[in-house]
Amino acid sequence: MLLEHDAKTLMAEAGLPVPWGVLVRAGDPLPSRAPGVVKAQVPAGGRGKAGGIKVARDLAELRAASDGILGMIIRGHAARSVRIEELVDFAHEAYLSFALDAARAQVTVMMSRHGGVEVEDAATRADLLSETVVLDQEAIAAAAARLAARLPDALAAAVADAARRLVPLFFAHEALLIEVNPLFVRADGSWAIGDAKLAIDENALARRPRLAALVEDHADLYREAALKLEQGFDYVDLDPAGDIGLITTGAGLSMQLVDELTARGCRPYNFCDIRTGQFKGDPTRLILVMERIATGPNIRSVLINFFAGHTHLGEIARLLIQALAAVPQLKAPITARFIGNGLDEALAIIADAGSPIAIETDLERAIDLAIARLEPADG
Amino acid sequence: MAERLPTADARVIVQGMTGRAGRTHTLSMRAYGTHIVGGVSPRDEDVGGIPVFRDCARAVAATGAVASVAIVPPLAVLPAILEAIAAGIRTVVTITEGMPIHDAVHAKQAVDAAGARWIGASTPGMAIPGRMKLGFLPDVSLAPGRLGVMAKSGTLSYEVCHRLVQRGLGQSQWVGVGGDPVKGTRFADLLPHFASDPDTDALVIVGEIGGNEEEELAAAMTAQRFAKPVFALIAGQAAREGVTMGHAGALIHGTAGTVDSKTQALRGAGAQVFTRIQDLVDAVAG
Repeated sequence: MLLEHDAKTLMAEAGLPVPWGVLVRAGDPLPSRAPGVVKAQVPAGGRGKAGGIKVARDLAELRAASDGILGMIIRGHAARSVRIEELVDFAHEAYLSFALDAARAQVTVMMSRHGGVEVEDAATRADLLSETVVLDQEAIAAAAARLAARLPDALAAAVADAARRLVPLFFAHEALLIEVNPLFVRADGSWAIGDAKLAIDENALARRPRLAALVEDHADLYREAALKLEQGFDYVDLDPAGDIGLITTGAGLSMQLVDELTARGCRPYNFCDIRTGQFKGDPTRLILVMERIATGPNIRSVLINFFAGHTHLGEIARLLIQALAAVPQLKAPITARFIGNGLDEALAIIADAGSPIAIETDLERAIDLAIARLEPADG
Repeated sequence: MAERLPTADARVIVQGMTGRAGRTHTLSMRAYGTHIVGGVSPRDEDVGGIPVFRDCARAVAATGAVASVAIVPPLAVLPAILEAIAAGIRTVVTITEGMPIHDAVHAKQAVDAAGARWIGASTPGMAIPGRMKLGFLPDVSLAPGRLGVMAKSGTLSYEVCHRLVQRGLGQSQWVGVGGDPVKGTRFADLLPHFASDPDTDALVIVGEIGGNEEEELAAAMTAQRFAKPVFALIAGQAAREGVTMGHAGALIHGTAGTVDSKTQALRGAGAQVFTRIQDLVDAVAG
């Protein structure tokens, strides 16, 4: 999911009416323009309810609102930036979205005469119009035109125009979701984008240079996507106060390991799917993850889990020793669970290197040991 | 009606056979017993004596292949599927990670229109243990037995099946459906196969948060009065909204796609649902 600011930047580039706004991080100068609205930039809904959106009447209020919102945690996401935007006059708020329906492999177009938080109300849900069609520009545009024609007269032309101009963006950016809520409609029939969600597909970045540039330019705001783009693997910071660092491969098994540790009262510091099969003799990924884990102030144990289907564990063990030598600041005891091809060679390599890594072949035992090592040794 | 799953003696071609991964997996599939009859590649290099063809049409004409395993880069997956289907291939398994989602939508439309079957994207493949595999499910986790396995996650299913095999429980058939949001074959699509398969006594489902595939499976179990025991593991209990962990499909929006939603649906359909691997293994073995 792109941040609202970036979604609006792409929409403005396409010539859509987007209110003036700037992206501000902590320490950046504020625009000397008021009144305005200060909006937390996090990839989650419910920002308003969480106090992440505030209207400021003057520059002092603008400053106070920015200071208050920057650093706020909204649904688990730190607000590292805010968008400061001009206030827009409007007569109506409407709702418009295009969403990929993964189960049906089609696209659902939705519109409502009610925008903002009202669109989710039980009382107005009956007014939510929707149609699901194939992923085809003409089919989606036709569905949107049909739905818009069912809206009240004061809104129909404006929402139809917005939909017509947003559809090409769904394809140009290979979107999974484009949602404009609210869509501001003025008394004269003109319209503007109130809030925008644009969910992109990381797998499409390779052929979408504009999106890739956006992620790279804002690498500090899209840390995980930027890392994946640059290094080709998944890494997520889970808990800055976490006590156990994870160096693991395979998305599902790594996610399950986070669950198993959490269920036993641990606080996993990170998730990663390092993809051992793609190392190709290079320890860079291991070094990056170890460096990241080493910055955790409460890290007291590190758990490695490599279930090697095709990869050779001997090669992985060699890379692991190289990576450990490159990251001496990682001092927490390491427990490694290895299973698969080349286990004996891996054991020999770890032993020859004189490395204190404790190796287990059973995951339950490895988890138990990694947890036991969280306890300070008796002095 | 989608194509039935391929049988153990199906004739198979490999698209992208001469690449590094293509070569490795081709030889390993053949060593496992898969009836590999040809490969497709612009490079005329033989792999272990298996003939190479310039395109799928030529490969199918020469070998009578009915199934294909595509081992090609992410942006080449859609063209590979379209080529295979046009050549008359009935089942395509695509193991590549990172296929763009819009491409997956187009692939799904084309495969459905042809009445063929696509397994993937982003799957370790499928296997009839002891007889054949399409893809790279690890031998250490494969053993002939009577459990039907369906999994979103490769590695998590390796772990689950490895532990079950250590307890003497192997698989009748194992299908990795992949962790992408848009995919060729979903859990519910495979239910009729496992219901009628005389070699399957029970099902093991390796699911995870995100999407509605588990809920859909639960609805199908109820509608089809699926009578065999079902054991499901759902990963992602500790995930938070809006954060993807590796699998693009594993993303929670609001209350949809959560462990609770999936657990309730599956339990309502008579399945036993677990959030810890060992609990599932003990229950299946019990």
